[in-house]
Amino acid sequence: MKFAKLLLCLVAVVLTGCASAPAKKDLSAFTAAAPRSILVVPAVNKSLDVDAPNYLLSTLTIPLAEKGFYVFPVNTAKFILEQEGFYEGEQIHKQPPEVLAKLFDADTVLYVTINRWDAQYAFIAATVTVEFDYRMVSRDGVEIWKATQKMQYSPQNNNSGSPLAMLITAAINAAVTRAAPNYLPLTQQANQMVFVLGPNAVPDGPYRILAK
Amino acid sequence: MKLVSLLACTILVTGCANRPSMYQWGGYDAMLYQSYKNPEKVIALRAGLESHIAQMELSKQKVAPGLYAELGTIYLQEGDSTKAVAMYTKERDAWPESRGLMDGLIKNISKSMGSKSEIKS
Repeated sequence: MKFAKLLLCLVAVVLTGCASAPAKKDLSAFTAAAPRSILVVPAVNKSLDVDAPNYLLSTLTIPLAEKGFYVFPVNTAKFILEQEGFYEGEQIHKQPPEVLAKLFDADTVLYVTINRWDAQYAFIAATVTVEFDYRMVSRDGVEIWKATQKMQYSPQNNNSGSPLAMLITAAINAAVTRAAPNYLPLTQQANQMVFVLGPNAVPDGPYRILAK
Repeated sequence: MKLVSLLACTILVTGCANRPSMYQWGGYDAMLYQSYKNPEKVIALRAGLESHIAQMELSKQKVAPGLYAELGTIYLQEGDSTKAVAMYTKERDAWPESRGLMDGLIKNISKSMGSKSEIKS
């Protein structure tokens, strides 16, 4: 497990390229709202894979909770929304954020749109791509944070010959097979980039601050 | 420039290493994923959550946010209102941010339990 985490970190570092350090975005709206809790609602799906929103949903809780926020139980939230007649991400994202926040007594709502979730095949290798738009809106309806993240994996691009790159390639290769591409590692990396590692990472929440 | 990138890299790597997880999740994300992939696996999710929560309580560790409530919702979907209320109550008591929602859920369940027993009598 520890090793896997380290690998994930290394992969993230390699993917960011280590070199560029783009200017930090303004997070004052987030800081001003100082949210304690986040409601993650089902995603809008622009990909062709109907399962993508559910699979994505299962990856969002842990990074945000480990960031120090109370994350409303995603499957319970999905169930409650269904009870209210909301089944699709499109429908849910059209509701006023204030109404959703009030229904759950949440400080913020996280909206994710799946732009890409696909595998393109060439001879023996597949290029797997995920791309997400993330947006957090406060209970007063103010957008307090947003990010876009794309992650792509294609085996032929990773033959750099360096032992580290080969190690990472081997680890990811195991997860990405021609028969059934596994989007989860890429999705987890995308989440890790936007919430934790990236220049626009979400500031620490109250429980992380408390733990310091 | 090289120094800057080396520094950035070091910060990234150490930043990553210095963030130990705050909670134990007992495989929650993987089990939830499996239950979405194959709805029959919700039984495994329930069993996994039950044993993880029992283990956490036994060793007096804090149960990660949402886990009590997720288990409660599975009980509710299986028609076991009493167990659902017990889990929602635990979630509420462990996480003050969940109070509004958990109280609402508990109230709704109690109401429907009340109306059911009225029909019976």
